[in-house]
Amino acid sequence: MIVNEWCMYCGECAGVCPRALIEVRETSLIFNEEGCKDCGICVSVCPINALDKEE
Amino acid sequence: MKLIETDVLVIGAGPAGSSTAKYAAQNGAKVILMDKKSEIGAPKRCAEGVSKEGLKKLGIEPNSRWVTKELSGVRLVSPNGTDVWLNDDQVKLPEAGYILERKVFDKFMAMDAARAGATIMIKTLARGMRKDNNGYIVSCENMGEDFEIKAKIVVGADGPESRVGRWGGLKTVIKPKNMESGIQFEMAGVEMEDPGCIEFYFGSVAPGGYAWIFPKGDDIANVGLGIVNTVTDKSAYQHLLEFVEKCPATQNAQAVELNIGGDPVGGMVKELVEDNVMIVGDAAGHVNPLTGGGIITALEAGKYAGEVAAQAIKEGDCSKKRLKEYEKICKTEIGDSFHKYFKTKEYMLSLSDEELDSIADAFKDYEFEKISTSELVKLLIKVSPKALLKLGKLF
Ligand SMILES: Cc1cc2nc3c(=O)[nH]c(=O)nc-3n(C[C@H](O)[C@H](O)[C@H](O)COP(=O)(O)OP(=O)(O)OC[C@H]3O[C@@H](n4cnc5c(N)ncnc54)[C@H](O)[C@@H]3O)c2cc1C
Ligand code: SF4
Ligand code: SF4
Repeated sequence: MIVNEWCMYCGECAGVCPRALIEVRETSLIFNEEGCKDCGICVSVCPINALDKEE
Repeated sequence: MKLIETDVLVIGAGPAGSSTAKYAAQNGAKVILMDKKSEIGAPKRCAEGVSKEGLKKLGIEPNSRWVTKELSGVRLVSPNGTDVWLNDDQVKLPEAGYILERKVFDKFMAMDAARAGATIMIKTLARGMRKDNNGYIVSCENMGEDFEIKAKIVVGADGPESRVGRWGGLKTVIKPKNMESGIQFEMAGVEMEDPGCIEFYFGSVAPGGYAWIFPKGDDIANVGLGIVNTVTDKSAYQHLLEFVEKCPATQNAQAVELNIGGDPVGGMVKELVEDNVMIVGDAAGHVNPLTGGGIITALEAGKYAGEVAAQAIKEGDCSKKRLKEYEKICKTEIGDSFHKYFKTKEYMLSLSDEELDSIADAFKDYEFEKISTSELVKLLIKVSPKALLKLGKLF
């Protein structure tokens, strides 16, 4: 997952990830990419489009 | 690795966590309250409206350091700009009383927890947990140092992220259709019709939610909206920019702060406890499904959680069965009322812009103090027949 630099670490993406794979730190996000099913839910909820799927 | 032992570990120092920690400590438990933030309460993810009765019920005295504005009423605005005014003495609306300064308020609540005896750890992140025979061992990180906390009860007060509950086996994942995507500017130069009233804007300005202007004194206000991303292709940010561009009140306003955050509006999570685990606040769905307000319910649920947790510690029984008492109290005191709000929201969201306009038109000159809720609903059904189907049985 690409986390763009304008992410504000609000944690909304973490709340909807069905597998609880997103760790929201004060100024960074850590994705547990191994378990990720690429469902894209986290990408679509972000209020400021800060996430992009890796091509 | 360093290991700290405690009775109760509360993860997250928002209103829910601070309240839980306060009541648990007050009732004799050894409590640690932790938050990953370097400053409790900041950045805010909130429009900062609370009801007066809500604070009063919890025995929290309004303090000039965190009350920015006392409100006298509400202005509801339909898509074509028709407005309906409601005064404070006519209707009791859940989030219409004071506008807070949450950065200060949240800290005050945490300080109260500290005064009650809780240990506070800031800039400390919980990263996961594993079951231990008599509780949980939680992996934590502070300034690059890893350590562990062993707790008989772990309380997930981690807000909309709601991961702690899931580590403990609870189903707290939030469906995208139940997650309100919130975004807001704090602005100066806002020109409101009445800066003593909060304003709500309905319809396609905010698909799946509504837009708001909450005044904070002088010409300052929180201007924001919540959307559900499953019913719009635009981002919440795009919707906000469009709202601010068109709204008469913000034509000369400038933003000094941007806030974003998710608000879980699907109702209370079914199960709030497991063996040695409790969840509270946003993490437990303690948010009014209609308004999205969750400050008061988080504080209230925290009180119940803290009291039950302390009692369970005293009795030496932190099983799911024992902690169920908390879940039961939450159901009667908080969860049951949500049903009505949820239905009302479903009805509101089913209305087109035209329907909203005609309802506003029918109500705009009404003297609300003279009619009862049932008469109000009767009038509503006259303008909007489907209200009967959706609301008839509730009021
Ligand atoms: C845009 C918007 C506007 C809103 N407007 C209003 C309003 O006007 N009135 C109202 O009543 N409600 C409003 N709400 C809802 C309200 O903000 C929440 O219901 C309330 O903050 C819930 O409190 P809480 O304590 O459950 O969670 P939070 O206040 O979110 O606190 C959770 C805390 O947990 C910490 N945390 C999370 N994970 C970890 C971890 N792993 N380790 C350590 N710490 C962790 C976070 O840093 C955070 O401080 C709004 C919400 C949004 C998004
Ligand atoms: S929802 Fe967006 S802004 Fe918020 S933490 Fe996730 S990626 Fe960052
Ligand atoms: S793509 Fe889906 S599974 Fe992967 S992190 Fe995002 S929400 Fe979670």
